[in-house]
Amino acid sequence: MALTRLNRIVQLSHTVSLTRPLHGSGCGLQLGAATQTEAPMESPRAVFRTSESEPASHGEQHIGQFYTIPPSQVKTIFPHGLPYRFQQQIKTFNEACLMVRKPALELIGYLKKADPTHPSVRYVLYGERGTGKSLSLCQALHHCSLQDWLILHVPDAHLWVKNCKELMASSYHRARFDQPIEASVWLKNFRVTNERFLKQIKTSQKYVWSKREFTDEGRPLGEIVDQGVTRVKNASDAVGVVLKELKAQARPGSYRLVVGVDGVNALWGRTTLRKEDRSLIDPSELTLVHNLRKMMKNDWCGGAVIATVTQTGSVFTPSSAYLPQELLGKEGFDFLDPFLPVLVPAYSEKEFESSYQYYRDRRWIQHHTGHTEEGKKELLFLSNRNPAALERLCAFL
Amino acid sequence: MSKMAASSGRALKSFVQGCCGCSSVILPSIARNVILQKPAVTVLARLVCTSSTLQRKNIAAAGPEKYTQEFIKKQIEEFNIGKRHLANMMGEDPETFTQEGIDRAIAYLFPSGLFEKRARPVMKHPDEIFPKQRAVQWGEDGRPFHFLFYTGKQSYYSLMHCLRFIQLLERILALPYCSIEEEYIQRFRRALEVQSKKQKIEPLQYDENEVAFSIGEGRRKTATATATVRDNGSGNITVNGVDYLLYFPVLQDREQLMFPFQFLDRLGKHDMECKVTGGGRSAQAGAIRLATARALLSFITENEVESMRQAGLLTPDPRVKERQKPGQEGARRKFTWNKR
Repeated sequence: MALTRLNRIVQLSHTVSLTRPLHGSGCGLQLGAATQTEAPMESPRAVFRTSESEPASHGEQHIGQFYTIPPSQVKTIFPHGLPYRFQQQIKTFNEACLMVRKPALELIGYLKKADPTHPSVRYVLYGERGTGKSLSLCQALHHCSLQDWLILHVPDAHLWVKNCKELMASSYHRARFDQPIEASVWLKNFRVTNERFLKQIKTSQKYVWSKREFTDEGRPLGEIVDQGVTRVKNASDAVGVVLKELKAQARPGSYRLVVGVDGVNALWGRTTLRKEDRSLIDPSELTLVHNLRKMMKNDWCGGAVIATVTQTGSVFTPSSAYLPQELLGKEGFDFLDPFLPVLVPAYSEKEFESSYQYYRDRRWIQHHTGHTEEGKKELLFLSNRNPAALERLCAFL
Repeated sequence: MSKMAASSGRALKSFVQGCCGCSSVILPSIARNVILQKPAVTVLARLVCTSSTLQRKNIAAAGPEKYTQEFIKKQIEEFNIGKRHLANMMGEDPETFTQEGIDRAIAYLFPSGLFEKRARPVMKHPDEIFPKQRAVQWGEDGRPFHFLFYTGKQSYYSLMHCLRFIQLLERILALPYCSIEEEYIQRFRRALEVQSKKQKIEPLQYDENEVAFSIGEGRRKTATATATVRDNGSGNITVNGVDYLLYFPVLQDREQLMFPFQFLDRLGKHDMECKVTGGGRSAQAGAIRLATARALLSFITENEVESMRQAGLLTPDPRVKERQKPGQEGARRKFTWNKR
């Protein structure tokens, strides 16, 4: 009786009821025996989903399959990290499903094999617009957090170089500019991700914020973060302090640090911000950017730097540019050299098929032609196997 | 007599309660000449019908009431059931109950003092009460069924045209010794060329890898495009050296590109490279579409060519920007009118 009711709920509603199991093949078979409408869907569902939720255990055979991230992990690891459209998709489908793809697998493989005693390796994900660079970065960060690394995730570096409402002159350095709002927001999210580490790591020197406020040596790093969040004026300096401390203390013996920056070409591009005398600000004159650039150097060991170069969101770059050389410019390229480039291509046949089956399973494609072979060919043609294009197409179907 | 009265009284009560409104009983509408907007509600009938004269007057005002087939069928069923009930009530045999019997029964059960015979209660077969309506002349899309609908007198013209006139002419041509009048009759015949033969189909060319390819050109509104369609492909399309997803970020343009392939059901089978110059975004897409369709002509059968022509894929779009006229701001827009 309960199962027939379940069946009706599954048929009627888009969103998954709480009683329905999320991980596909294992639990789904129990339902499949009892209900009739679930049974024909079993075989396609088992193809494109996998019940392995650890990125570390994904292998070649999992390429093209979706794995689910439990909601608790989503909240801790990615408070601000996921792209906006993906966040909306999570809300609609009530689950966070990522596809296992070759670039992410490659990256995770390198991370596993990397030697902590060597200087940190820099990986740069590049590819055309909408091919999945940000989500590959998120997948790698998910793996790192499950391996208990410290995650420093800058979701979009472009947000720091454009559309800043409040710009103040830095108190620490006369020529630089602070961005209090962005810095405090980032600190808040950083705190959510790395609660555990903030209590362990201690400061190595005394920091004076103002005449009456200072942080002693040996205090936990969490205090600096709190200081930055509460005193918004000092937020950018707090960010700088945090970055410096983390870099200095990331030795092979202690924690491992991964720095994930989305849109790293913003750090060496141009800004749209102006000073009071209407002259353009260089990125190096922004405190946040300056400190982040220091992180990107490979003079520390015990971790990795993963970056993506993306044209969407960047200012003053042509839309056809997608290679790291074009987007980073000469300065950025020299700074990041040597790095390991990872190309993120569009979907392959199998991945496209898998994505299409996922949307159908989630009943996202409502139009009756969408379920036919011709409809699938149409979608293939119109999106040219680009993940973002496919997502936008299916959005109104 | 009393038994009759008692039984009829009981029958009347049961009639009221049970009979579910024998709606083919017409109770007189109050004023026949007044156009009733609201139907007069009576005790027995659920649905009140105005008499047919009123309906004809109502056409101009509120549109005639449409009686659907199901409605008429239902009315006929109810009439038959009511007839049997009535026969039962009157103590007669339901199988052999005629219309005269019905009339007598109704006159007995509903005595009316009205002088006008047509105003008294009447129970007749629905076909005699509801006027025969003409079935709707056009389909769902608004297109009329008969090809002579717009002449106004479709049956007359169809009679004259199809049945008699052309038949006669063709009969004359079939008779022996028709050559006398044949010239005269052939004047009324116009030879229709098969349109598809007008299309020039380029033969397939083969390049060095033995892959068949074909070139087509198309134009739309200042944009010119040349398209090379190759066989044994996987659906890669390059426009001016750039992937079509980057060149046409708008969905509408990509749909235009897709149309020829989708129509012929060859979506993933061909590769295409095209060069396009001039025009705007939409014009370039239209030009490429025409060029693709022309290039694909070499790969398909004649029937498919004909169906493509009918779909409009092979017709160059003649619309161009209209010239601006002197004394006006644009092609049609006039200058703002000032009173003084």
